[in-house]
Amino acid sequence: MGELALARDLQDKRVVDRNNRELGRVDRVVLGETPGGPPRVLAIEIGPSALGARLHPVVGRIARALEHIFRLEEGRPVRVEVDRIEHIQDSVKLDLTAGETAALAVEQRLRPFVKRLSGG
Amino acid sequence: MSAIVDVVLGIVTSIGGFIEAGSISTSAQAGAEFGFQLLWAIAIATVMLAVMIEMSGRLAAVSRRTIDAAVRERFGISFQWVPLAAELGIDTLLLSAEIGGAAIAVKLLTGIGFLWWVAPVGLLVWLILMLFGFSVIEYGFGLLGLVTLSFVYAAYHLRPPTHDLVRSLAPSMPHHDLVRYAFLSVSILGATVSPYLLNFYSSGTIEEKLTEKELWVNRTTAYLGICFGGVVSMGVLVTSAMVLGPKQIIVDSYDQAALMLVPVFHRWGIALFACSLGVGCLGAAVEIAINAAYAFSQALGWSWGANKARSDTARFSAAFTLITLAGTLIALLGFDPLRLTMISLALTVVIMPVIVLPFLALMNDDRYVKTHTNSAFGNAFLAGLTLLGALLAIIVLPLEVLGG
Repeated sequence: MGELALARDLQDKRVVDRNNRELGRVDRVVLGETPGGPPRVLAIEIGPSALGARLHPVVGRIARALEHIFRLEEGRPVRVEVDRIEHIQDSVKLDLTAGETAALAVEQRLRPFVKRLSGG
Repeated sequence: MSAIVDVVLGIVTSIGGFIEAGSISTSAQAGAEFGFQLLWAIAIATVMLAVMIEMSGRLAAVSRRTIDAAVRERFGISFQWVPLAAELGIDTLLLSAEIGGAAIAVKLLTGIGFLWWVAPVGLLVWLILMLFGFSVIEYGFGLLGLVTLSFVYAAYHLRPPTHDLVRSLAPSMPHHDLVRYAFLSVSILGATVSPYLLNFYSSGTIEEKLTEKELWVNRTTAYLGICFGGVVSMGVLVTSAMVLGPKQIIVDSYDQAALMLVPVFHRWGIALFACSLGVGCLGAAVEIAINAAYAFSQALGWSWGANKARSDTARFSAAFTLITLAGTLIALLGFDPLRLTMISLALTVVIMPVIVLPFLALMNDDRYVKTHTNSAFGNAFLAGLTLLGALLAIIVLPLEVLGG
């Protein structure tokens, strides 16, 4: 088992689904306490509220409020448990499809408008 | 064979795509006010751009990452928001300056006030982005931009004294108005080494699927294309120095700059200037708008690419739509496009270190560029010029703005 540096090899890395579809980046790494043991990685999070919270809690709250206003908060930020990570190489590849998450909610919301404007 | 075609096309389009609002305005002003004396600034800035473009292509070809994607990975969002915000801010200002420049070009051809043309130009930029792929954007404007060679022909036709040209390639102190001279040299640097070009070029390398084995294509195109492109900028400066300088015409609007081609091309002079300005500004506006969308999408991990169906990259498409709208609205406020260009260029040089220095760190990280790391000379050359330019810009920008 190779060594993994969280900040270098996981955080901010591109995340793709089982079909190599871009889901975003690792916007936050969630650590959990284990009684009497060292902290361990529980999950990764993807989404503007997780990303904003890393910059400043206020930015995170603004991102969350915007998601609420546009009714996009369901399932966001997307939290993926570590056991759904298939491998970490150039990208973090997940053992799930984009449709199982809300990672592409904004993309899907915008798609009909863009399709109509671009003619395809 | 295909690689050789790529190289030739890359060089030709680099020449055609070199000139835009910034390079025309700075070179025209420098020539009119200081003769050939600021040729050295174009020469140094051109070499600097060629070095940076080669590096950005090398990073993308070897790491399969664009600069903004690699900066996010390597330095994290807590650092990246600074260069990203700076890049997007400058991109918006430059975009409005380019839209204004293209609108002025139409005004020169039609005689109808430029503000009437701002919204149609903005709409045209957006339509091009919505409908065409990367190759059409890159090569189409590059080939149309060959009209800017009229500046090189004009400079040659006017027979400038060769020894004066050669002497001007070495920096020298001006005989008058030191602050203005320093401001123009900073603006020339900003006009030539626009940060948007770096990420645009690295994104183009990914779009064109250039690989590590084709680094020679990248190197040849970058050095030859950019250096020949610099000759077009020099053509503007020399023509301006030969035509506008002796008549003591100070270029404080594009209308005055347009006069420089008249002695050579006579009644076609204004039209040729307008076509050069129009094609250059429109091409730059498209590249700036798409680069802002590239930067945002790559930093956030969205699907991106001018060669993909727009409906498969909806957030990317929304990003270039929004920035085009913002640039158009700023241009509609009616700021003088030439003045807006000059201030944007000096600000570009101020923010350059936050974009160039992390880029240099990537170019020395073997996790990204493997064995193709930078030479010590390349690092020192770029870091030194970037910091020196920023320091000079911080000093002269307030003096220029306060002095009007």
